[in-house]
Amino acid sequence: MLRFLARRLLIIPLILLGLSIVTFTVSRLVPGDPVKLAAGPQARPEQIIKLTEEFGLDRPLPEQYFMYMTGLLQGNWGYSISTKREVGPDLVTYFAATLELTIVSTLIGLAVGIPLAVVSARWRDRWPDHFSRFISIGAVSVPVFWIAIVLQIVLAQNLRLLPVSGRFDPRMSYPETYTGLLLLDTLIGGNIPAFLTTLRYLIIPALCQSLLVIALVTRQLRGDLLDIVRKDFVLVARANGIPERVIWTRYLMKNALIATVSMMGFLIGFQLGGAVLIEYVLDWPGIGQYALKAALQLDFQPIMGSTLFIGCVVVLVNLITDLLYRVIDPRIGLS
Amino acid sequence: MAQNHFDPTRKMVEDFQAGRVSRREFLKFVTALTAGVATAGVPVIAAAKNVAKAPVRGTLNQVEPKILIYGGSQDIATIDPFDRTDYSIAAIIRQLYDRLFRFEGGWPQPIEPGLVQEWSSSADASEWTFKITDQARFHDGSPLTSEDVVFSYQQTLKAQKQRSSLLSGFLDVDGITAPDATTVVMKLKIPYGSFDRLLAFLEQPIASKAIALANEVDGDGGAAYLIDHEAGSGPFRIKNWQIGSVYELEAVEDYWQGWPGEGRLSGVVWQKTEDAGTRKLGLLAGNFDISDTISSTDIEEINANETTMVSVNYGLLAGYLKYNTQAGPTADPNFRKFLAYSFDRQAFADSQQGYVSIMTGPLPEGVPGYDPDLDPQYSYDPVKAKEHLDMTEFKDGGISIDFVYVSGLDFEEAGGLILLAELQKYNITLNLVPKNWPDIVGACTVPESGPHIAFIFDAFPPLADTWLIEKYSSKSWDRPTGGSYQACSFYKNETVDSLLDELRLTTDTARIDAIVQEVQTIISNDAPDMPLYVTPNITGLNKRVKGFTYYGDISVDFWRLWLDDAT
Repeated sequence: MLRFLARRLLIIPLILLGLSIVTFTVSRLVPGDPVKLAAGPQARPEQIIKLTEEFGLDRPLPEQYFMYMTGLLQGNWGYSISTKREVGPDLVTYFAATLELTIVSTLIGLAVGIPLAVVSARWRDRWPDHFSRFISIGAVSVPVFWIAIVLQIVLAQNLRLLPVSGRFDPRMSYPETYTGLLLLDTLIGGNIPAFLTTLRYLIIPALCQSLLVIALVTRQLRGDLLDIVRKDFVLVARANGIPERVIWTRYLMKNALIATVSMMGFLIGFQLGGAVLIEYVLDWPGIGQYALKAALQLDFQPIMGSTLFIGCVVVLVNLITDLLYRVIDPRIGLS
Repeated sequence: MAQNHFDPTRKMVEDFQAGRVSRREFLKFVTALTAGVATAGVPVIAAAKNVAKAPVRGTLNQVEPKILIYGGSQDIATIDPFDRTDYSIAAIIRQLYDRLFRFEGGWPQPIEPGLVQEWSSSADASEWTFKITDQARFHDGSPLTSEDVVFSYQQTLKAQKQRSSLLSGFLDVDGITAPDATTVVMKLKIPYGSFDRLLAFLEQPIASKAIALANEVDGDGGAAYLIDHEAGSGPFRIKNWQIGSVYELEAVEDYWQGWPGEGRLSGVVWQKTEDAGTRKLGLLAGNFDISDTISSTDIEEINANETTMVSVNYGLLAGYLKYNTQAGPTADPNFRKFLAYSFDRQAFADSQQGYVSIMTGPLPEGVPGYDPDLDPQYSYDPVKAKEHLDMTEFKDGGISIDFVYVSGLDFEEAGGLILLAELQKYNITLNLVPKNWPDIVGACTVPESGPHIAFIFDAFPPLADTWLIEKYSSKSWDRPTGGSYQACSFYKNETVDSLLDELRLTTDTARIDAIVQEVQTIISNDAPDMPLYVTPNITGLNKRVKGFTYYGDISVDFWRLWLDDAT
């Protein structure tokens, strides 16, 4: 176990190094002039020269890369050329919003997806199965931003049950933040009205984001359950008179969940990279929006920062997923 | 020495004659003025000021103050008062800080005094003296003095960021001094007769020198601290600042200039909402009191709603088709005129539901010197187009030219499609090339990389010289660091260059008018670009929002607003 961990932890810096080289190279190869963009249309030549020097963009590319990585190793994620804000604290702020959305949407996805998969497998080719498959296929077939707009119109504009967009009610006092996860922060602060408000603001984005989880979990788990339900050990268990409830929960689910956990690792990593469309339409201040804006403005250091940050998160989530395999099924080696 | 003093009586009469003030407001003013005269011991001017424009401390706030929620299309990534002036940044900075002048009292933008009470210039307009009020207080209670004014301007000039671009052409760090606590003197590098108007438009926020320096890091004058903190004296202060999400201000109840309306706001929340559809839904659902940058396709729906309405106004954001006058087919003036006569502006206006103000020449309406009858003007005329094409080497067509526009902007693509359809008739291929904005900015640096045609928007202060020099003087692009996208025509005409040099230096108003007229005529003849249209600022408002005055900007001046649920 420890050897496995050590080996994986040693590989992580290499992965991030490769990612940093690719991102740096690609961002510099893209045509465009971020300095002129940041300096503004009426910038005088001396302003452009000053800004170029300030961000080291007048130096050779290898030197620029070396300077950036040196800063990064010292904990300096750099500055945005357009806003002059520090990249590191911004990444943390935006990531907290994305993390909260991912956690809630994943919980919703699992809470809906797992029962749907079980129902679907248990009553295969009967109406619960048809219903479940309709939901899972429909969830990935419809563009998520369209679902978001429909929910905004129905739940916010027409029924006035939920807010149209945003993360918290602007007419209320913004809660004290400790972790950046507002649900957690409001609970820590014992602020129940703010907790409920946060929850209201989370419903539409989390529902939208959970659709992919529901669809993938339902389909993956259903398929695995149907595969395992015909295995000899299940037939033996049935022949021995073990109750059906126990067979499904202890025999089938435990074996069928392995592939789902693997897929969830990938999916959570993907979601933590930000859901740009959901964040844009519902004005959720997540890391996807931050990265997109940086890319559109060719803002080099935020581009590098967000890519490496998301890369770190994906690598860590995958590591945790690998470790979870063993927890679910001790037969699986970690070598 | 020319001297200016803000005379509200004269201004009210002028505003009334110009139609900027309603008959009712004018009568109210006259009544108040009469009452002021009749009241012994009350200075007439003071009474007039109260009624006219300048607000009074402790105004009659009859409506309970409330928080206004604003759905803004743009984030407020920084409020560093020495850095930059995007519309969202400017909208918030205007509320946090005071400036020498105000200009948000209407459209076209009239200058109103802010901190300045009197100002004057030397006969050659090379030295300007500003007398500022001694009443202004920063939010920490300390008085605002001329030292703070000098510090703020100097910091901007030292920082050499976007905010300093135009100012640094006229003023050096050493050129601004404070002889006493209420006097500021600016000695210009070159004389400039419209310097007061330029200052009004540049809106340099006056920051507390003490607060800024107390938070200085590595000699930055407090700039890093002021990215998300304030050191101002404006009508609002920061209450809550959530980067990338919501920005909340609370009113300074005893703001030194008072509150101009029948009521006031207790606070403002700027909720960043980038999606136009969400801004509309937020307004219709009652989540937002104001949504800016509404799509023209949503106007009908918002107006049909019982509680909401739309205000459509035109400002200074003008769209041009810029031709590369130095390279490719567009280097030939006749080919450019062929393009100009080939573009069906009415078809373009129709594609935008009619919400465009078609331009007649290089200057948009709202800039002094705008000439609605400029000659020549280009309207869709296939006969004239063919005449000019026949004068070029491309009369048989068979060529291909690029039309570059910002990726994802449908209205720019629509312009390209209209031209594409027309050019096909002449066997000319128009390649529609969508590009990201940084790519276009980079391409517009030198003629060699400049597109044949680029759809570009320009916005400058309402000063003719700035508009003309930044876009049409060869000095704006023919230099070691290249040009900006605003000079993407790479236009070079020695007569125009010479006239524009003179325009910047002269203080003779008659000569200024003559030069502006002459330059516009020459430019129109040369057709280095096609002035297309001024884009509307479409603002969605809940009907409970009161005090809204359009002043040429996308955003609103929250200081003048209040919410009244009774109506």
